[in-house]
Amino acid sequence: MSTALSVRGIVKKFGNHVAVDDISFEVPKGCVYGILGPNGAGKSTTLRMINDIIAPDAGEITILGGMKPGGDAARSIGYLPEERGLYPKMRVIDMITFMGELRGLSAAEAKKRAGAWLDRLGLSQWAKNKVQDLSKGMQQKVQFATALIHEPALVILDEPWSGLDPINAEVLAEVVEEIRTSGRTVLFSTHGMEQAEKVCDGVCIIARGKKILDGKLKDIKRAATAEGLVALGFADDAAKAKADVVLADKALVTEQRPPRPGDVADCEVKLADGADAQRLLAALLAAGVAVRRFEMVVPTLHQIFVDKVGAAAAVAERRPEGAHA
Amino acid sequence: MRETLVIAKREFLERVKTKWFVAMTILGPILMVALILIPALLAGRGAEGAKIDIIDQTGKLGPALVQAFTAGDEHWKATVVDPAATDEQELARVRTKAINGFIRVPADGLTKGEIVYRGDNATNQTVGYTLKATITAVVYSERGAERGLTREQLAQMLTPPNVHAFHTTGATAGESGGGTFLIGYIIAFILYMVITLYGINVMRSVVTEKTSRVVELMVAATKPRSMMSGKILGVGGVGLAQVAVWFLFGGIALAYRVEILQALGAGANAATALPSLSVIELGVIIAYFILGYLFYSTLYAAIGATVSSEQDSQQAQMPVTMFLVIGMVSMTAITGDPRGSTSAIMTLVPMWSPMLMPLRYILGGATPAEVAMSLGILAVATFLIARAAAKIYRVGILMYGKRPGLGELVRWLRY
Repeated sequence: MSTALSVRGIVKKFGNHVAVDDISFEVPKGCVYGILGPNGAGKSTTLRMINDIIAPDAGEITILGGMKPGGDAARSIGYLPEERGLYPKMRVIDMITFMGELRGLSAAEAKKRAGAWLDRLGLSQWAKNKVQDLSKGMQQKVQFATALIHEPALVILDEPWSGLDPINAEVLAEVVEEIRTSGRTVLFSTHGMEQAEKVCDGVCIIARGKKILDGKLKDIKRAATAEGLVALGFADDAAKAKADVVLADKALVTEQRPPRPGDVADCEVKLADGADAQRLLAALLAAGVAVRRFEMVVPTLHQIFVDKVGAAAAVAERRPEGAHA
Repeated sequence: MRETLVIAKREFLERVKTKWFVAMTILGPILMVALILIPALLAGRGAEGAKIDIIDQTGKLGPALVQAFTAGDEHWKATVVDPAATDEQELARVRTKAINGFIRVPADGLTKGEIVYRGDNATNQTVGYTLKATITAVVYSERGAERGLTREQLAQMLTPPNVHAFHTTGATAGESGGGTFLIGYIIAFILYMVITLYGINVMRSVVTEKTSRVVELMVAATKPRSMMSGKILGVGGVGLAQVAVWFLFGGIALAYRVEILQALGAGANAATALPSLSVIELGVIIAYFILGYLFYSTLYAAIGATVSSEQDSQQAQMPVTMFLVIGMVSMTAITGDPRGSTSAIMTLVPMWSPMLMPLRYILGGATPAEVAMSLGILAVATFLIARAAAKIYRVGILMYGKRPGLGELVRWLRY
């Protein structure tokens, strides 16, 4: 019962193009989970299958402990599609109320909550305007309200940060945090790693329809750290020269590289298999190197993503026609 | 079902709240009457005060024709010109707009000779009618005078007998044929108009959902079937509400028709000749409206789902609209012979029965058994079309880009 969503081996083909290829992951209840990947990786297709907009060709999706996509599950899910769309001629308040009713609320309750959401999002003065009178950013906020009005146990947001200014991005992050605090679950897709790193408990990285890795963000980072990258800083050039002798020992260090852009370390080294940081530090000190900085590198999600997905996959694959269905 | 109703409510309110709906509901009947009256009024207008020349080669008809044309309802200005005047001379006068046209009565015009009118207003039906009636009357009276009849004797002879056609199929003594025809025709026209209007409205609403991309939000929240049925129900409700208001107006107008017609200056005789609709006839009209609307709106919904833009939909709807137009044009076949075999066949075909059967039934051409059979066929056809349309709709609403071919549509039906 502690799983909000379980996806097992789902496959989706559009003609000859395999959009989603045997993807599995589990989203625990009460967490914020990100599906990360470059454009065209299959993120939206995966979310659409969970929402029963399209059916997978193979595999199984279980929602909130036993429900299949569609039917009753639809009332427990709130969804912000990647294709943002509202009824252009509807009044803003009516639009939100309508989606609330459709997801199972009574008309009166839906209207009450719609008003509260408009207050919260700073759109009260627009309540009686038509949707088409609103700016794109405001329309996006209205869409958040339509996805959240029925307090769904599972909130699915497809690229929620795209097109938001920093202030509204912050409002969204707050809302996401609030949902997590209330014990509900958020699943979202993004290619923005910084945002994901800030809010995610767990992630699943996919590229070209295939899963690259998944798990808790903390575990993934710990594993990446254990791969043994150390950033080094020395007191002066003499110390650096002394250190180079130690770092040339292939039993300790397999690779020496320049520091990452923006980092002020002198260099970054990759520890040899079997070697550990303690031994390297002891060797440096034994050689009389004046060490100013010695730090296990904790890679950012962006770095992990680029390492794992590779530069090639980051280039968006052209989607074939009809793949958007 | 609950979702269907929520969607139907939205579709209904979105339309009813517009100024367009209010305007059309109130102005609709006025526009419809105007549609019939204005052309008739304009046609008469064009014939008034025409200027003509008369070339009388008999030497007997000229003055009588001038008097008859001038005294007539249309107040023409007629002048007798030199019998030797050539067509060319007169045509030149038409060219310079000195006259509208001229009549040439040949020397044997009183017997077999062809009396010819040439003029810029000859296409006007009233002009044609006035010319024929006036010249005929003058020629008759001259022929009578030649045979020694007095003016009184002639007038007596030429008074038309009072002939009147009543419509009956044997059940009653009959009602005014013209009145029955008018009521049946108006109702068939309303059915055609409302079915087309709201059917196309369903299609446009589907296309709007696709172009505004709201469809994805909807599909995630509910089933495509609920979306389609909710939309058809909501839009149909608007149509039904509108027709109900129109019938209410019509009913009031019919109930007070004597007073209204008298106020307009028409005699009470004309008013009492108008037939009224029975409850059964109303029931038949409503049944055909509902089934006909369902039949066509599901078709239109499916078409809306297969296209990605308004422009595409204009083309794609043509085949369906053609069926409706054929039905509309065939109304004369029904009014011409309500009990004939053409009428019997056309009112069984589900594409046409919604407009044509109520007309035929009001004209008394169809037995209740025939109506029941036609309704049964329509109901079965509607059910089958709705099932196929729902499948096309389900696949189509999420498709963008190129319009699917026939082969692809068949594949969608098998999904």
